[in-house]
Amino acid sequence: MLTYVLRRLLLVLVVVWGAATLAFGLLYLSGDPVNLLLPLDASPEAREDLRRAYGFDQPLYVQYGRYLIKLTRGDFGTSLRSEEPALDLVLVRMGPTLLLAGWGLAFAVALGVPAGVLAAVRKGSLAELATMTLALLGQSIPVFWLGLMLILVFGLELRWLPISGAGSWKHLILPTITVGTFVTASIARLTRSGVIQELRSDHVRTARAKGLAGRVVVYKHALRNAAIPVVTIIGLQLGALLSGAVITETIFAWPGIGRFVLIAVSQRDFPVVQATVVVFALLLALVNLIVDLAYLWLDPRVRYA
Amino acid sequence: MRKIGILLVFILAALPAWAAGDTLVIAQGVDATTLDPVNHQETPTGNVTAQIFDNFYRRTPDGKYEPWLGEAKALDDLTWELTVRQGVKFHNGEELNAEVIKFNFDRLLNPDKPLKYSTYFKPIKSVEVTGPYTLKVTTAKPFPLFLTRLTYFWVVPKQYIEEKGDAYFANHPVGTGPYKFVRWVKDQEIVLEANEDYWAGKPKIKKVVFRPIPEASSRVAELMTGGVDIITNLAPEAVDVVNGSGVAEARTVPSIRNIFVVLDVKGEGPLHDPKVRQALNYAVDKKAIIEHVLGGNGVPVGCPLNPYIFGYDEKLCEPFPYDPAKAKELLAEAGYPGGFSFTMGSPSGRYLNDRQVAEAIVGQLAKVGVKVDLRVQEWSSYVGQILERKIPTDAWLIGWGNAQFDADNTLFTLLYGGTVEGGPPQTRFSYWADPAFDKAVLEAQSVVDQTKRQALYKKALERVRAGAPWIFLHQQKDIYGVNKRVKWQPRPDELIWAFDAEIVK
Repeated sequence: MLTYVLRRLLLVLVVVWGAATLAFGLLYLSGDPVNLLLPLDASPEAREDLRRAYGFDQPLYVQYGRYLIKLTRGDFGTSLRSEEPALDLVLVRMGPTLLLAGWGLAFAVALGVPAGVLAAVRKGSLAELATMTLALLGQSIPVFWLGLMLILVFGLELRWLPISGAGSWKHLILPTITVGTFVTASIARLTRSGVIQELRSDHVRTARAKGLAGRVVVYKHALRNAAIPVVTIIGLQLGALLSGAVITETIFAWPGIGRFVLIAVSQRDFPVVQATVVVFALLLALVNLIVDLAYLWLDPRVRYA
Repeated sequence: MRKIGILLVFILAALPAWAAGDTLVIAQGVDATTLDPVNHQETPTGNVTAQIFDNFYRRTPDGKYEPWLGEAKALDDLTWELTVRQGVKFHNGEELNAEVIKFNFDRLLNPDKPLKYSTYFKPIKSVEVTGPYTLKVTTAKPFPLFLTRLTYFWVVPKQYIEEKGDAYFANHPVGTGPYKFVRWVKDQEIVLEANEDYWAGKPKIKKVVFRPIPEASSRVAELMTGGVDIITNLAPEAVDVVNGSGVAEARTVPSIRNIFVVLDVKGEGPLHDPKVRQALNYAVDKKAIIEHVLGGNGVPVGCPLNPYIFGYDEKLCEPFPYDPAKAKELLAEAGYPGGFSFTMGSPSGRYLNDRQVAEAIVGQLAKVGVKVDLRVQEWSSYVGQILERKIPTDAWLIGWGNAQFDADNTLFTLLYGGTVEGGPPQTRFSYWADPAFDKAVLEAQSVVDQTKRQALYKKALERVRAGAPWIFLHQQKDIYGVNKRVKWQPRPDELIWAFDAEIVK
């Protein structure tokens, strides 16, 4: 078990190095950031000065070498736009994004799992039809459209909730619904099919035959087994949540990493983009590891060597 | 039901409470990148720092410049005497004097650590303190733009920066301006409070908050709920909605930005012929574009300058009339009676409905037989190609905001062709090379006398009019959404200066 975890952690490092290298290469192919940093009428000498100050006048392998060496110390350099440490800028904005993604996920699980169970238990009823229709809608509605509709209804018409910015729990409600809806729908549909399958299985029939209450059968016997694919999808959806957060953050002016990195990309702020890519790669690799470990807990038959 | 009622009351009690009382909330598309006033390149950042800092010369709302933290006088072509305003204090109590101004120049001119505004002060050779409030500035060559460049000279505190360092200063700014820095929550809000001891008078508004709201429709929604007071870059399509809201209204101002199509005049193709280029200018219906594509938010122009800019000449800048018959005639004279085809680039989303403007031009040129293959690109790679002169098209639509309000910034940067012997090499933008034009523009760079400069620019504009190196389109209008409770008029230089604003109800 310990060797497995250690091996996986080593793999995480490889993933991070790969992502860092890819980010470095692609950014340098995209062109010179100095042009975007200075006014259009800046003199060629001014451009040269800045290029030298940032080390862009060095050969590519020197720049890459320096980049990797600094990376091992957790140093991504300073942002070309604000001249602050890139990693700090990214981490400051990672908090709100993780908060939003976390709430989105919690919302999705809290709503999606019971909805899926309900649809499975009441198969063929109106409740199932309604739940699954909503789930289908939830998966088909574009994130930006949902966000704008929520703003229109709850912000402009009803004036119940703040429609942009952050600062209080109320600011979280609309973005959470926006970012969580797609995942809620996926979880609901997956839970439903998983539970239906489990309810048909032998061990559930046995449990029922033993005279256990319907609720216990569903939650203890069927749901636990049905949860494995759901956990997998939660792990996979974290990526979707984080990328959905880019759109949601833009619509609701949420101070997260999503739109920050969008600007950084368009301005070719190399250090910031690189730091973001590496932090995201690390995060997703770790989440994958956690998901794999969660299988162990859910299904004692799973053993990792 | 009762539970829902309680929930509703709870939610209603929690409405955003910002834009109320004596707080002015300004929403821009992006957050500031730094609060160091001389080390950024973005208007949204400049709008924040302009509240906290003062510049040595300031730009008046009608685009003229005037002394502000001090005055400069030309002693001869190469020497300037600067007198610093007395009795001005920074927010931390530090006093403004000649030493502080010298520190500011040294900071800008330090070659080891160039700041983004350093480029504006390159011609300065040395700065010498001559008294407690006086300095002498010597330039390497005549520097007629010195006064206008002093509007970029935002004064920062010496002691504070020496003690705390540049990085700390950029996040915790201290200036002499009308508002003091309170806090900055990145991408969320920047809060400022009135500097009651401001040397130019007490600000009328107590608190100013800047909020970044990137999505245009969210900005409009916030404006209409009263969550913010001023929003920038209101889309022409949203003007009616805002005006009909009863809460806010659209206010516009012709900006310093001109929109035009640069024509690649080098080589031997049709665009090489001035007659063809004139024809293209006659073939584009500027008024129709402004009315139908920009919702009226533009003013047609017939030269690279606009009325705010020193060197502008009303007669030489008159828009080319829409005259397709004349265009056809000129094309026939040039040997293209059946028209010709060329490629044109355009950015999308950088200027007011830029792509749609380009599409309209394509349609109008087709009417005189000129076929245009339009290629739309994302801004950062578009501008990169232009700066690196790797432009894949024969023409490209671009805008130019002459933030220096001086013809040199447009004519030299964009049109100078480097034909003058011993002069600087060709600049980046245009392939147009007209010796008489180049001579006039270059000469204007070394004349401090403004009347003489005006005459030189007139000569230059005559050449531009004849050579028609661009399709001249329009001067863009900036559109703001403003809550009706705010007394404030937009300025051509895109600056939102809260000191000029007032909350009236």
